[in-house]
Amino acid sequence: MNIETNFFKRLNDWVNGEADRLFPELHETDAPKPPEPVATIGPLPNKDVLFLTSYQAVALIVVIGMVSILLYTVYKLPLFGVADNPAVNEVVERYVEKGLEETGAVNVVAGMILDYRAFDTLGESSVLLLAITSVMMLLLKDEKNTDPDEELIEAHEAVIEDHNRDMILQTMTIILMPAIMLYGIYVILNGHLSPGGGFSGGAILGAGLILFASGFGHNRVKKFFNMKTFRTLTTIALLGYGVLKTYSFLLGANHLPTGIPLGTPGAIFSSGLIFVLDICVGLIVACTMYGFFSVFSRGEI
Amino acid sequence: MNVIYELILIVFLFVCAIGAFLSERLLIAVVIFMSYSLVMSVIWALLQSPDLAITEAAVGAGVSGILFFITLKRIHALKGTKDE
Amino acid sequence: MIRFLTDLIGVILISSSMFVFASSVLGIYRFRYVLNRMHSAALCETLGMMLLVSGLTFLLGISWHSAKMILIVVFLWMASPVASHLIARAEVLTHAHITDELEVVDDERHI
Repeated sequence: MNIETNFFKRLNDWVNGEADRLFPELHETDAPKPPEPVATIGPLPNKDVLFLTSYQAVALIVVIGMVSILLYTVYKLPLFGVADNPAVNEVVERYVEKGLEETGAVNVVAGMILDYRAFDTLGESSVLLLAITSVMMLLLKDEKNTDPDEELIEAHEAVIEDHNRDMILQTMTIILMPAIMLYGIYVILNGHLSPGGGFSGGAILGAGLILFASGFGHNRVKKFFNMKTFRTLTTIALLGYGVLKTYSFLLGANHLPTGIPLGTPGAIFSSGLIFVLDICVGLIVACTMYGFFSVFSRGEI
Repeated sequence: MNVIYELILIVFLFVCAIGAFLSERLLIAVVIFMSYSLVMSVIWALLQSPDLAITEAAVGAGVSGILFFITLKRIHALKGTKDE
Repeated sequence: MIRFLTDLIGVILISSSMFVFASSVLGIYRFRYVLNRMHSAALCETLGMMLLVSGLTFLLGISWHSAKMILIVVFLWMASPVASHLIARAEVLTHAHITDELEVVDDERHI
């Protein structure tokens, strides 16, 4: 009885704000800590509470709606591998049966993406150019977004980095980089004969350049690959791709006789324009990969 | 036999995909994403599309991982560097 | 008879590579520090892969494919120890209290 009245009295004091704590004996047993200053947030205005609640409800409804639409679409999809699917039509048969004869490429995939659907691949290369352009707009250093202190710190760090290059990495880079470059060039040039082509070979070339840059520093790469080389290679490759296929793009016909002899299938100089287009795509991809790395890490190429 | 192998790889793919967004540290998420790309390239090779396998191995597991690491370094999110 | 012998050697090599892989995975979970874990992971990458690929080469016999497999081992032995070395170097350079983790402390450390 006594305890209960005591409790109600304390509760009353606590509610009225005269006592700090409801159970002071519990807090005294702990190590007394000064209460940390907490940034107090006042109670939210009524409008904000309404907005937050309705926002969560609307988000839930939108998510459930999207998920049910997607699940319904998946439910309505035709079964995988059924003979009367819309994907199984004469286009696939034409590509598989006449691909070697019309494009001259032993690798049917290269014949498809660089001859029948060359406009697609031009779009993909342009997407890469667009990506590297926007990254350079954001991250490239010029006199407007650098200050002298920052430049001094970065130059200091670069000097320290140059003195602490790892000798094991450098030695292995000297041994491995020619092999990587050779493999990349092989994949690009053999695009119409074996799996691979412009995209994979260009990525391998770019990875080799990145390995060299991380072993020896950007300044060594700059001696043979700088901004001027980057601009020249990218422009020549993309323009060359466009010019070589202009006739077919402008006329809207996906396969026109170019007059270039297709050669014997399986030889390295065969299949007409695919050989050149592969080199163009490979150059763009290699430049873009190294450009991403360089602009991200140093802010320059 | 081949089907069992593919099933194991696909289960590993699911585990990687879920682990990549459940991991708390960004570095671990990037490493898990790189292993996801590696498993994906093996699956492409098993599905008889070696073109995609080479590209996935070079771009997904190699270059994009490096770009993620550099981005983490730029935004000072790597533990152990002097910025954290 | 020779075919049987090469198959036997191949199976023995592949089994020992499986043992190396299993013990290195156990080590990765068992050890508690980065450098110890990397020790077992690097062993898995070099010794295990060498045993596995050489076992496959014995199973396959002499052909161009086995030559390519030997090239894989050569390039892996070049690339993988360098990668492990770089990771270990980054750990040693960025760990502020590296001497707390080491059992044998050398006063004149040269990193």
